[in-house]
Amino acid sequence: MSARTMPLRVAAAEPLSPRLKAFTLVAADGGLVHPSGPGAHLRLLLRNGAAVHRNAYSIVSSPDDRSHVSIIVRRTRDSKGGSALLHEAVKPGDVIEAGLPANLFPVVRTARKHLMVSGGIGITPFLAYIAAFQAAGTPWELHHFCRIEERAVFEALLAHAPAGRVHIHAGNAFGVLADRLARQPLGTHLYSCGPALLMEAGQELARSLGWPKARLHSESFGGAAEGGAPFIAVLRRSNLEIEVGPQTSLLDAIEAAGVDAPCLCRGGACGQCVVEVAEGEPEHRDHFLDDDERASNRLIMTCVSRARTPRLVLDL
Amino acid sequence: MLVSDIKSRPVYSRLSIDAAGRRHLVLSDAPRPLEAAIDGVHAAAGAIDYWFIAATSTVDGRPAPEPAAGKDAPIERRAFRALPHLLDRLSHRLAQETVGLRLYSVGEEGFIWDIARLARDAGLEEAELRSCHAGSLRRTVFCVHCKTRTPQVTTSLAVCEGCGAHLVVRDHFSRGLAAFMGVQADAEAPGELPPAEELFR
Repeated sequence: MSARTMPLRVAAAEPLSPRLKAFTLVAADGGLVHPSGPGAHLRLLLRNGAAVHRNAYSIVSSPDDRSHVSIIVRRTRDSKGGSALLHEAVKPGDVIEAGLPANLFPVVRTARKHLMVSGGIGITPFLAYIAAFQAAGTPWELHHFCRIEERAVFEALLAHAPAGRVHIHAGNAFGVLADRLARQPLGTHLYSCGPALLMEAGQELARSLGWPKARLHSESFGGAAEGGAPFIAVLRRSNLEIEVGPQTSLLDAIEAAGVDAPCLCRGGACGQCVVEVAEGEPEHRDHFLDDDERASNRLIMTCVSRARTPRLVLDL
Repeated sequence: MLVSDIKSRPVYSRLSIDAAGRRHLVLSDAPRPLEAAIDGVHAAAGAIDYWFIAATSTVDGRPAPEPAAGKDAPIERRAFRALPHLLDRLSHRLAQETVGLRLYSVGEEGFIWDIARLARDAGLEEAELRSCHAGSLRRTVFCVHCKTRTPQVTTSLAVCEGCGAHLVVRDHFSRGLAAFMGVQADAEAPGELPPAEELFR
């Protein structure tokens, strides 16, 4: 599936801290940007010589204001290139190709109250959420966890939000969450975004306090698609054998071989890229397949999952 | 044949306490023993409140707490005079409740689906409510022509309380309206009515 793309021009690139940089992007043709909703992300196609990075960033600007989209990019320590490129090489005036906004972390419209828990750069989708909740008048509450030295950065990002609703917890202060989770009115939905450990701990705590699964929502970003042992993927229908390197995802390797594979989120969440496995055993890293599907070893999500066996034969 | 095993017809199974819940509120439209209404009472994590309609003026709806026996969760019973009495207190209770509550209802379909509607309006998710049919099979019928709900229908043909139309009571059930659909029986040949049978006793 060749995803539709749109060219965006960098209108501003502003450092917020040594590791965070905010980008304001406008439609390259001068029109309105593509519509999106709170929680949507943008996938940037960043070309660095022969390599193409497809990095997804949550849209932090209000979905109602289509004059621009804003994103915040954290420079990861062991950047594979995408975030380093944005921090160092991309300048105002540059045009970047981007996929259309997609949303794997939408707001639950029927919720009476929205409780958000974020860690570090995981705040980004919630900046758009807050704009939407403020416009609609829906009750909300945000608990943001960060390192002590980054407190001022996040305070500045949230400076425009009503103070009583925003709670920034710097350092190791996760304990406050149990009390808040125990006191939420019926109809509250919990959203978490940030490091996997924080999200898992928050959801586990909520479950132990009687929150059903239907009230728990989370967005994982990065992490899942990190590399692993190299393996050979055999594309049965295309009659191709391709090498999947330790730093390449299966989906990237399939695309590099010129095969049009289905995909959408590229983060193991949406289920679009699911492919039948004819031989070999997948190493599942997605959030989509259920336990039975995983155990059957008949299906794989090519965007994040890899192989436990040296060869994996796919129906592609 | 309009009365059939249509898919919207709810299927019920016996109530059991949801071990994931932190507080439990069990509602019954008749004064049945708690253990007859629901399984798992003795294994529940968190307090159980049992509210039932006693249908008598000798009760006042006040809580009657029972000290917890051994490791069992504490149980508090409240007997209500009538349905509006119970619904009135339930609205107040749900407005003050927090996430972690589980609601259970047992009784006739009119009762349990009215509770379901109230629970949904209070923000409860489907996973937080369990319902089970018990007692009479009589139905609340929704007239698709004038939108009136006619309660306690036991026959295959019913007169709409709103417009007086003779309605065929279908098996098509609406969770949103908490009622079975009723359509005019003699729409095509006015005055020609099929015989009414007592089906929903």
